[in-house]
Amino acid sequence: MQSARHSTPMNPATTLPTILAIAWLLPLAAFALVWVGYSLPQMAGGRASYGAQRTAGWLATGAIGTSCVLAIVALIIWLTQTAPHEVATVHETAAAHQAASEHMASPPTSYSGIYYTLAQFGKLRISIGYYIDALTIAMFALVTLISTCVHIYSMGYMHEELEDMVDREIATPDGNYYHRPGRYHRFYQYLSLFSFSMLGLLLAGNLAMVFMFWELVGICSYFLIGFYFERPSASYAANKAFIVNRVGDFGMLIGLMALWSCLGTLDFGDSNTPGMFSQLRSEAHQYELDAAAMGSESADTNYLLLFVAGVGLFCGCVGKSAQFPLHTWLPDAMEGPTPVSALVHSATMVAAGVYLVGRCYPIFVPEALLVIAIVGAITLTLAATIAITAYDIKRVLAYSTISQLGYMMLALGLGGWAAGLFHLITHAFFKSLLFLCSGSVIHAVHTNDMRQMGGLRHKMPWTAYTMLIGCLAIIGAGIPALGIGLSGYFSKDAIIEQAWSFARVNESSGYQLLMWLPLGGAFITACYMFRLWFMTFTGMPANTERYDHAHESPRSMVGVLVLLAVFAVGVGWHVPGSKLSVTSLLERARPAGTLETTTGTWLPNLTVPDEHLSHEPQIAIPAGWSAFAMAMGGLLLAAIIYVWRWLRAEEIQQSFSPIHRLFVNAWWFDQLYDWMFVRPALWKSKFFAGIDRYVIDPFVNLLARGTAFLARALDLVVDRKAVDGSINGLARLTWDFGNSLHRLQTGNLRQYVVFIVVGLLGLFAAVSLCWKYALAG
Amino acid sequence: MNLDSPAVYLSLLTFLPAVAAVAIACFAPKDNAELIKKATLAVTVVTFVLSIGMLFGWPGIEFKAGQAEMQHLFSVDWIPTFRIDYLMGIDGISLPLVVLTTFITMLGMGASWPIDKHVKAYCVLLLLLETGMIGVFLALDFFLFYVFWEVMLLPMYFLIGIWGGPRREYAAIKFFLFTLFGSVLMLVAILMLYFSSDLRPLGADKLAELKVPAERIEQILDADTPQHTFNILALQQLGQSTEQFKTELWGWTYERWAFLLLFIGFIIKVPSVPLHTWLPDAHVEAPTPISMILAGVLLKMGGYGIIRICYPICPEAGYDLAWLVCSLGVVSMVYGAFAALAQNDFKRLVAYSSVSHMGYVVLGLGVWSAMSPTYNADYWKMGMNGAMFQMIAHGISSAGMFFMVGVLYERVHHRQIDQFGGIFARMPVYSGLAVGIFFAGLGLPGLCGFIGEFFVVLSTWKYCIPLAVVAAAVVILTAAYILWTLQRVYLGTTYLGPHEEALTPITPREMWIAAPLLALAILFGVYPRAILDYMEPSVSLTADRLASKTSDFDGEQQPEAKVAQALSPQVETTDIPKL
Repeated sequence: MQSARHSTPMNPATTLPTILAIAWLLPLAAFALVWVGYSLPQMAGGRASYGAQRTAGWLATGAIGTSCVLAIVALIIWLTQTAPHEVATVHETAAAHQAASEHMASPPTSYSGIYYTLAQFGKLRISIGYYIDALTIAMFALVTLISTCVHIYSMGYMHEELEDMVDREIATPDGNYYHRPGRYHRFYQYLSLFSFSMLGLLLAGNLAMVFMFWELVGICSYFLIGFYFERPSASYAANKAFIVNRVGDFGMLIGLMALWSCLGTLDFGDSNTPGMFSQLRSEAHQYELDAAAMGSESADTNYLLLFVAGVGLFCGCVGKSAQFPLHTWLPDAMEGPTPVSALVHSATMVAAGVYLVGRCYPIFVPEALLVIAIVGAITLTLAATIAITAYDIKRVLAYSTISQLGYMMLALGLGGWAAGLFHLITHAFFKSLLFLCSGSVIHAVHTNDMRQMGGLRHKMPWTAYTMLIGCLAIIGAGIPALGIGLSGYFSKDAIIEQAWSFARVNESSGYQLLMWLPLGGAFITACYMFRLWFMTFTGMPANTERYDHAHESPRSMVGVLVLLAVFAVGVGWHVPGSKLSVTSLLERARPAGTLETTTGTWLPNLTVPDEHLSHEPQIAIPAGWSAFAMAMGGLLLAAIIYVWRWLRAEEIQQSFSPIHRLFVNAWWFDQLYDWMFVRPALWKSKFFAGIDRYVIDPFVNLLARGTAFLARALDLVVDRKAVDGSINGLARLTWDFGNSLHRLQTGNLRQYVVFIVVGLLGLFAAVSLCWKYALAG
Repeated sequence: MNLDSPAVYLSLLTFLPAVAAVAIACFAPKDNAELIKKATLAVTVVTFVLSIGMLFGWPGIEFKAGQAEMQHLFSVDWIPTFRIDYLMGIDGISLPLVVLTTFITMLGMGASWPIDKHVKAYCVLLLLLETGMIGVFLALDFFLFYVFWEVMLLPMYFLIGIWGGPRREYAAIKFFLFTLFGSVLMLVAILMLYFSSDLRPLGADKLAELKVPAERIEQILDADTPQHTFNILALQQLGQSTEQFKTELWGWTYERWAFLLLFIGFIIKVPSVPLHTWLPDAHVEAPTPISMILAGVLLKMGGYGIIRICYPICPEAGYDLAWLVCSLGVVSMVYGAFAALAQNDFKRLVAYSSVSHMGYVVLGLGVWSAMSPTYNADYWKMGMNGAMFQMIAHGISSAGMFFMVGVLYERVHHRQIDQFGGIFARMPVYSGLAVGIFFAGLGLPGLCGFIGEFFVVLSTWKYCIPLAVVAAAVVILTAAYILWTLQRVYLGTTYLGPHEEALTPITPREMWIAAPLLALAILFGVYPRAILDYMEPSVSLTADRLASKTSDFDGEQQPEAKVAQALSPQVETTDIPKL
């Protein structure tokens, strides 16, 4: 079943699937153990004790920790056992680059196969399988690492759940707060299930399996957002998240259907039969996109189908990655506990959309890529503008997440495959760091409102300075002249470079916007991130009572912050003394045929440039400096307003009052959707239910009444005279039976029974006689 | 009398409940309700064991997985004058449904413990109902099938009409008349088919295969007049390989009329919009266990009839009317989902969700995508298998949902969704199980509801793109009505309705009903081959046989020519391909 391109003594083709499968299933085992082990005492009316709950936490953490170790083992095996592609490095001559590109036009090393078949119909097969390439390995390591961090962090953060919990967000009618038993073990149970689902999504060998785990991470997200399900806001947010995601999944289903019906498979790799990638980008076509694989007779239809498939898949990603226009669920999802926001709603699950676009990159035609880029550009700007006016610390980070995901989508859409996925990885580290820092702050001051904070760096220095690192990383701080910086510097620069490169080859002014928007976004990003940091940690305490009670978080939390800060700084760097880096690892997974410069078929003047061209000095240098200037500008503006206070935020708000209101209300998307979709759906549901009640049922009743009238008439004429005289034994039996039951309770049943039996027999006799004569005659 | 013999075993499986019902009716002491319930439960358990016994049974009655053809086929003369036989058999299509029937009946009996009105009559009727249901799935003689169909109807009528809620009489009569209307249409179709069938062209080998006794085969082959038959398998072969049902009547062939009549009869049972309005009323009024059986098993008879009778006997009509079948399926899906969204009665909501979910079944059965130029039947096979899987999955999830509603109703005696809330805090284990089962209904991957829906939707595109798009959109509505319901009933802090003190934790008895349903929902969701390994060969064979005719149907330009051929003496020499 495996298709290994390289065989070595320790064959990765067999070891990797096994190792990763164990890493994938361990969290599921933890989930199942906790579920069964903690439901049984509850059934007996008891409840999980303090110690038992702690054990659940350790069990889940141990499982994901082991998975993390296994993922790192897999990474090491990958690096040592598989031969790397020749990677085109940054400063290559055009000729060498050309050679490298040609070399790149072969499929990357990958192992694909099947764990078990779900169903097979003729040639069609849907299975639980795997597709392992460098991207899988990298994402596995990333997800297990961050998940482990969040598991450990939560031991401190969620400790209130160990005992009876007082929910201060809910007031009971008698004026007290709501008391309930703690749900520490449930939290870990959900985290384990989430880790399992997320890893399954990464390991998936085909799109059907992706879709299954796609839904599963969605439901885990539902559980985790709704963790405080006693709060109406939490249950609404959970519902909203799942339903909005389902809107995206609707599109994804359409994409799946198109591919499934045209290609007959949803496998990524080739196992016995050619998978999607090798059908769409076959060797015979030099790995160029071959729309004819879609199988219909006309080339236009093929291209259209491929476009529909691509955009459909992307719809799913729009939902999951909270892109415009389905971005509205993510800010509300912050109702979940903060570690969840760090793991699910910033680092991993919401990035799954970006991952999927990257994974399915060979499927997208240039026009579909353009759609992705436009959506990404709109999202990154829109979310940034909202982030700058929000006061809830988690909402700022949520909008920032949306905006950064927009960057990744933009990069992928403009041909920057590696840039987008690289940013996904760096972003996962610094955004989970930022969220966990914000969690540490919330843990200390018991509020999300930044207006209640201020000066906290004196009370919680570790949190403050690790968060500063996170802020610097997200704005892409670095020194362009020396080429050093934090992780975000490398990844964001790569995106800006690709946008610059795209804008250079596409002259039209609309396309230029796709370069200016991310640049402007970089400015706003720096501005709102440092607004957040300054408001929280510097200046005078806004609320002295909260300030006095604030304290640095326990070591389990701070330790995790430091670890993540280290990654946020260094994950973009090369391993000292080698060429190895995250980018070089990703390059090993670059799908065949996606590097070349391509032009659109319907839009002939749309050119998606070769990604390596963006590293040419004439692009990289101006792009890098512009990004740097923008970030510094944003930082300065934030400092001017919130540190030096040369400008007052309130005055700016007043002078731009309409725009400010637009931003504060998140562009009124929630209200708009309520009017456009939610209410009409409810109206429609009332309408359909009304048809039943006011159209079909009255009609049926009318018919019944008419029949009953007819029956009474017949009863007078036929029943008394004819039937009563000649009723046969069977009918009499039934009559008696009906009579005996009639005595129990019901109404006038015997009449019906008699009519039925006699009617049927009569019909039978009549028809058979007619037919006999007809045929005999 | 030897249990090795399929005739004895299948008859025992079918009639054991009826015999037990008679025994209970005659001998059970009227005042000892507990004993009667226990005896009835024991009978349903034994029946269930008998039904799964075929999966692991000894030689002779063992069901061979992977075999597509009918197994354990046997025939006994019943009414020789009309050549009506006691003909039964089992294959991959009926086996899962039989097991589902015995399983749900067993759980339904377990759920019947709170019933204390006329317990004896209740148990007797429940057992009679079980015989009717099993019989429908096993009967292969059309007349026998029809008898079982009617046998099942009456107990159901009484079970709703006597043990139901306040409007039980209206609901029971409505259920009865709707179904009766369908069965009358079915009867007309049966007679149409019977009187236009002729066994002679099938030849001796085929007849022997169909378990016609040797002496009768000679008689049939030597006869001068058409030899009619009620044998469903024979009718399938006649429909697929001869022109016997192509006689025209009012512009349509008999085949088409028969298909339409049968189809209407079956979609009433499914139920499909616009013939579905009996279902919400019946469910709302029926007691919990009867709702479980109604949703879990009775609705499946419609789908079973379509795949066993409509399509194989009237293939060309099925091909021509596939658009109607698929459209009705999609309309039901959308309509049911929207209507569910508007309900405030918990049971009515679940009932409408059944309408929506059973729409997938109709759609999946109808997506005859084996069309020109490739005539590739794989996607249709996928749709059919998805539909059949959805029947089992829906049997589990809807029975579970109705039971979960029943657990609440028993405690607080109301079903108004807006008067619940905070159940999770009060009944955590129950709520956990309920959420699991509702998610199975929502079609969450890893639970049984997903597989069928996903397969059906994926296979639709190949048949018709717009229908596929609409069908895919239903996932949004399903999520909306289920999550909204869960939110209003289970989440939050305060319970808004009456009898708050009655919200006690789930009892072990209820646990033993809910937990197996959830466990099966997970098993079938994770490993659908647990069903498909038995089911897929038979379903795929059905699709293959029909699909192989598609090119003939396409090539046929003039129906008149066909009729002429049918009436010509060539009938005798019609070549029957080896199937």
